[in-house]
Amino acid sequence: MSAPSTGRSLADFTVELDVYSGPYEWLLALVLKDELEIFEIPLRELVGLYAGSRDPGSANALDRDTDFAGSAAALILLKSRTLSPALEAEPDDEDATAASPEELAERLQEYLKIRRAAEHLRERFARASGHYPSAHAVAPKPGRLRISSDRLTLAGRRAFSRLVEPPVRHLGPITVTLQELAGLIRAGLLRGPVSYEDLTRGMDRLRSAVAFAAALSLAQEGAVKLLQAEPLGDLTFEPLDPGA
Amino acid sequence: MSPAPEHLVEAVLLVSPRPVRLGDLASATGLSEPETEAALENLSARYAPEGSGIVLRAVAGGHLLSTNPACAGVVERFREEARPAPLSGAAHEVLACALYLGPLTRGAVSRVRGVNSDAVIRNLLERGLISEVGADRDAPGAPALLGVSDDFLAAADAGSGEDFPPLDSLVSPEELARVRERLTSTEEAPDEREG
Repeated sequence: MSAPSTGRSLADFTVELDVYSGPYEWLLALVLKDELEIFEIPLRELVGLYAGSRDPGSANALDRDTDFAGSAAALILLKSRTLSPALEAEPDDEDATAASPEELAERLQEYLKIRRAAEHLRERFARASGHYPSAHAVAPKPGRLRISSDRLTLAGRRAFSRLVEPPVRHLGPITVTLQELAGLIRAGLLRGPVSYEDLTRGMDRLRSAVAFAAALSLAQEGAVKLLQAEPLGDLTFEPLDPGA
Repeated sequence: MSPAPEHLVEAVLLVSPRPVRLGDLASATGLSEPETEAALENLSARYAPEGSGIVLRAVAGGHLLSTNPACAGVVERFREEARPAPLSGAAHEVLACALYLGPLTRGAVSRVRGVNSDAVIRNLLERGLISEVGADRDAPGAPALLGVSDDFLAAADAGSGEDFPPLDSLVSPEELARVRERLTSTEEAPDEREG
């Protein structure tokens, strides 16, 4: 009965649940792969099954107990996290902000209705179970399939959709870098404050833009102070430390 | 001698594993729709659950011959297969969302239930009980819209979505009021204490 010491002490533990029947290790794998939803697994029943299968006299009893306790604790943690509303919050503002009691009441009332509808469906499915239709199956003939254009569009969209990448053909090879322009600004500031206009005189639009980005970067580092007397007015760079 | 109309209809229904709509039955048999309807009425009487191992059901907008549930045990024994395991509570909730609030996106289902429902939805799509019936083109990424399928209607023994009770009738106004009262009174309690 004792399992060989392969590091898989629970390899011989199988479970029989409503939602799954088979090796316990596979159950864990299915949960991790999201093939089985964690909150559909009755953890209490799982623990009961393990307790019933325990053989305290076996050589690897301690290993088994330890491994089971570890994996069961992970399942409990995963289940509690899954059920935690905070982790399910949508990134949009609507759900990120705390709902008012009125909104919560609305949502709970809607959920209560869905819960009752689910119970109704359960009874209805149970009543209708046991109907078996004809086992005869005719293979569809090519050319006679009825294809809904909407479904075809959906399938095509799913198969071929990808993010549209912005066109970059208008961009030439990189001829100037931020570091290069930062060096230029540092050199210009050695003689004292310098205006953006003087600094970029004679530069093309790309170099002017990169020079501005380099100045912002230097200002963020604390090496340069940016001065602008009025909105849209002249921009002046001023060194903040002797090394700038 | 040509076969009687109900024999023609019966033959087509026998070989169909899915519900057959009236128009398709008429087209297949060469009968008019009123003749087909009359044939279906005769067949309904003949295939009543009390008198036959086969029953004629009006489900999912069509007609379907199925075994009588009273005989399910022997059918399962003959086919050496167990009855499919009942769906989980989560699956029934997702189906209820698709039935009553659909077509709706996966995100909408999760919002109503308060938990991520992607795994349950995937399982129901694989079982064919729900299907993608369109896309929400106004939402970013145009997520797929989910609705119940014909297989769902057949499994629930329903002819259409109209065969289900209205959602609002499933919970009494008193019960809804109690939910609201409990929630709002819980929220107001700290203020009362402060006052």
